[in-house]
Amino acid sequence: MAIIARSIGKRLGEPPSDILSGVSMEVRDREFLSITGRSGSGKSTLLYLLSSLDTVSSGAVEIDGQDLGAMSPEELCFFRNRQVGFVFQFHYLLSELSAIENVLMPARKAGEEETRRAYAFNLLEEFGLAGKSDRLPRELSGGELQRLAIARSLIMRPKYLFADEPTGSLDTANGELVVGILRRINQRDGTTVLMVTHDSGFAAAADRQIRLADGRLGEADTSVGASANGRTDRSVAPHDRGGSL
Amino acid sequence: MIFLAVRYLVARRRQTLLMLLGVFFGSAAFVLISGVMLGFRGYLVNQLINTSGHIHIAAREEFLTDHSLDASFYGPLARVFWRVPPSGRKDSAMIEQPQAWYQRLKADPRVVAFSPQLTAGVLFSKGKATATATLIGCDPEQQVRVTTIGDYVTAGRFQDVAAGGGRLALGEELRRKLGVNVGQDVRVSLGPAGGVVPFRVAAVFTTGNRLLDELSYGALADVQKVNGTPNQVNEIVVRLADHALSAQVATTWAALSPEKVESWDQRNAYIFDVFKIQDTVRYSSIGAVMIVAAFGIYNVLAMTVMQKRRDIAILRSMGYSTRDIVVLFLSQGLLLGLSGTSLGLLAGYVISFYLETIRLNAGPIESGIAHILVSRDPSIYLQAAALAFAAASIASILPARAAGRLPPIEIIRAGAE
Repeated sequence: MAIIARSIGKRLGEPPSDILSGVSMEVRDREFLSITGRSGSGKSTLLYLLSSLDTVSSGAVEIDGQDLGAMSPEELCFFRNRQVGFVFQFHYLLSELSAIENVLMPARKAGEEETRRAYAFNLLEEFGLAGKSDRLPRELSGGELQRLAIARSLIMRPKYLFADEPTGSLDTANGELVVGILRRINQRDGTTVLMVTHDSGFAAAADRQIRLADGRLGEADTSVGASANGRTDRSVAPHDRGGSL
Repeated sequence: MIFLAVRYLVARRRQTLLMLLGVFFGSAAFVLISGVMLGFRGYLVNQLINTSGHIHIAAREEFLTDHSLDASFYGPLARVFWRVPPSGRKDSAMIEQPQAWYQRLKADPRVVAFSPQLTAGVLFSKGKATATATLIGCDPEQQVRVTTIGDYVTAGRFQDVAAGGGRLALGEELRRKLGVNVGQDVRVSLGPAGGVVPFRVAAVFTTGNRLLDELSYGALADVQKVNGTPNQVNEIVVRLADHALSAQVATTWAALSPEKVESWDQRNAYIFDVFKIQDTVRYSSIGAVMIVAAFGIYNVLAMTVMQKRRDIAILRSMGYSTRDIVVLFLSQGLLLGLSGTSLGLLAGYVISFYLETIRLNAGPIESGIAHILVSRDPSIYLQAAALAFAAASIASILPARAAGRLPPIEIIRAGAE
């Protein structure tokens, strides 16, 4: 298993209240998992805990056999830079940088800006942004911005892609485009994708869905096969890795 | 992160310009104010050092107190009550053993030259014009080695004072008061009741310092004759190889002899007190400018940190560390400090040349320097750079640290709500 959560919980606020409690689950390599639930159900919190962006109040998260809680800040930074890509509801692009510069920001941190430049242009072309590499974010549409954010998340060819409501600020057409990209990345590159969405239609694009209700795992929707926290889910055939987008 | 820091600064041109101007004006003002102050100070100190000599050895002036004479009259154990306490000066105004001093000075390798002097207050007269002034008797050949008085001679030759006897070198102020020129005679007396001795003006000097330009110089033997104190001197002026040693050497000599030995800076301690006051005013006024500039940088950077919370969060999610975020904001302040300081120093340097073209038409230095003197000592520029850069750095550290401490998850969570 690539990601294992062992009875994780998150308490927030004053007085503290449980946002998430006792969640145990496993995510396989190359799986496309969607996390659904109502607003406030804790699905984004779960995503952030699994992705190392947030720390658990109880329990433990293990990625590739490494306990996230035992990793030093430097190791976490390295892990996020090399293994993880994030896509948020809002694109969070740096407004002062051009499209290509935004895409290359993770590579700049890794000192691989030049070696990944050609790949960055490939990503822009694949996501329909060819010829817009020098544009600033304010010169792009909402759909283009989100696709640009996905390109940025993929520049380091991460093993894991965490997407938090990536279609939340898009219209249906652009939303479908973004989910299609995530699906393609998962199938073609073998990137493990965890997507939080409240849209059941987009959630259905995933190999497996888990549903959160009041901070706890609820019934799985379309899952078949392997167990996740005692619930059944759909087994996913491994996809071929390799090949560039 | 410098790349992104530069982009942030360029994107906020107006705020960047304002922050830059604060540092720019602060460093330029420091350079100019310090340059003018230290330029004049350098001129003054140079005059003190070179025109008057490095060390003065003079007869000690010891004033009588109520019990100064008790032991002399009644023995060391007596307790005396004077109906009229003694007063006045106890000692002679002359150096008691000048030959011993001459030998000591000749033997000291630190001494370049020395000039025995006899200083007397005299009355000059030329026709109906009279003026009281100080007449300094000296060996002109030695005097020009000990002091730079020879450099300020505007008419005649200083060394001619020794030629033939009865010759004088007058300061320009004194010459003006008497209305005489080189080659003309003046009469010199110790006072209205004293004998009158004729002197011929052999040279005129102009130092630019009114006090010095009211002095007059004659040959030592001539002045001794006028004063009625043959073979006596009341002062020895010494020039050292290194003027910085003056105070140290003077203190050592003072401990070894009954004479009063003072260095140029000890003799003019009050001037150094004025310099200290000047420095206090200079540093506090420039400090105020720098504090304003620093607050400007602090405010803008703190605001930028708040505005760029999402950038911070996304950078952290990409693997940028807390240190990277601190560097991102700290480097903005440092870049402003560096560029503002560099431009300020350059502007200060260029403007200092313009200031030097401003002519002075009044004041005590009117005849010595015809324009404002501006020091371009590297230490001024180093101090200005250090002060401006420190202000910018300190102002940037707090917002930068605050940015580094921002938890990315809370920003993202807040953004999603």
